[in-house]
Amino acid sequence: MTLKIVISGFGTVGQGVAEVLERKQDFIKRRFHRQVRIVAAFDSRSLAHDDGGLDPELLLERKSSSGMVGDPRPSDMCRFLRETEFDVLVEVSPTNIETGGDGLLFIREALNKGAHVITVNKGPLALHFRELNDLAKKKKVQLRFEGAVGGAMPIINLCKENFMGERILTIQGILNGTCNFILSRMDKGLPFGQALKEAQELGYAESDPSYDIDGIDSASKVAILANAVFDRDVTFSDVSVTGITAITEDAIALAGDQNMVIRLIGEVSPDKLEVAPRLIPKGHPLSLSGTLNMAQINTDLAGPITISGRGAGRIETASAIFSDLVAILEAERQ
Amino acid sequence: MRVNADVYVKDVPGQLVGSLEPISMVDGNIVGVVHHHEKVMNDRIGVNITFDVDGSDQLERLKAIWKERDVTISRLGSVVETYPVEYLFIGDITPSYLERLMADASEKAGLESVDLRYSSRVQSRKKAAMMLAKVRRPEDVQIIDRFFMQECQKAGILAVRGLGQ
Repeated sequence: MTLKIVISGFGTVGQGVAEVLERKQDFIKRRFHRQVRIVAAFDSRSLAHDDGGLDPELLLERKSSSGMVGDPRPSDMCRFLRETEFDVLVEVSPTNIETGGDGLLFIREALNKGAHVITVNKGPLALHFRELNDLAKKKKVQLRFEGAVGGAMPIINLCKENFMGERILTIQGILNGTCNFILSRMDKGLPFGQALKEAQELGYAESDPSYDIDGIDSASKVAILANAVFDRDVTFSDVSVTGITAITEDAIALAGDQNMVIRLIGEVSPDKLEVAPRLIPKGHPLSLSGTLNMAQINTDLAGPITISGRGAGRIETASAIFSDLVAILEAERQ
Repeated sequence: MRVNADVYVKDVPGQLVGSLEPISMVDGNIVGVVHHHEKVMNDRIGVNITFDVDGSDQLERLKAIWKERDVTISRLGSVVETYPVEYLFIGDITPSYLERLMADASEKAGLESVDLRYSSRVQSRKKAAMMLAKVRRPEDVQIIDRFFMQECQKAGILAVRGLGQ
């Protein structure tokens, strides 16, 4: 039996998903005796569609050579989703933290027609988690989003599935690799502006870095964790957010004199939702340098559990999406 | 946790050190030692030690090591549990503002052993100051936190706090 997939968003992550699906076909056949086919892929301008299945390699080649994944797309993509037969929507279009953007509309459409949704799009999850989760339950389909927080770091499924019987007390973590890179460079004596410029030159920060350095990206992840792990009903705007732009060389030096570093920490608990720079003792897991994401989960039985992983990247994020797809296949098998 | 203990050690060379060394072994910090040569009991002399340990687990380990080393504990008292509070203030701050802030904080919740460091870079309007202190009650950690956050927000100062707060 074939599992039909639509990929919404064919940028870095969408292309990574196509590549991983091609690479993992044998594994899926062996383990689930099923075939996974991409029946449609679209970006902001173009659409490729074939009910019999598209060749992932050709999709990648076309995107690479022309910047488009297919032919010019129809303006009403919700209608396209409504009229197309598929089982799973992989929604990886650019995030919009103010409205949820097109991604929100596509996720609603897919869930309404009874398709599973896998997304890393933080906007819809940070703004409309409860509505989307309830809709998925009502339609008896899965809404999965492992890659939305921490990229390849398996925090959501770990908390929801492996720690199902535990009470999670707090999650504290480095949820934005760009900020962590900047603060790590400041530890070495670089002023904020220079560390930011270096991050931009290395491709870690966007030309408009405010989404990262103002703490917005981390705050949307905090809201997602609060809803998914702590079963709260919050949105991005409920999170208290302080970014890293006010951190000075003097502050870094004073912290260093006390054997501490400053890191941007997202914190979630039953009564706390916060993103703020914090003082971390050197040697503590959260004093980590570089671009990795790291989280410490404090539970009532297991105590503190620390996990880390690459927070972004084409194949790393696709790996989180693939783990969600495997979970859907596993659930369908049972 | 600050602990004051009276112990008795054999009156032979090396025994005093033998009673102090275990405090370091449990990552404790010796604050003061008084050697009472006149306080003799069963050929042992009295030593009064004040030290800080992280908590009751360390204290129990210390008691076990003392027992192994034949150090007799006659009194273990004046135990005061303390909770660290750490803040880094960044903004247009002056030493007088900080002094006022610390005095007001102490009124809200007794701050103990306050260590305040101030950045010396004069050309920058954004100064930084680091405060390391202890409070006696866990609820004081929250009281202090709310106070500093409110005051700093009013003054346009960023307060960066420790991870455990």
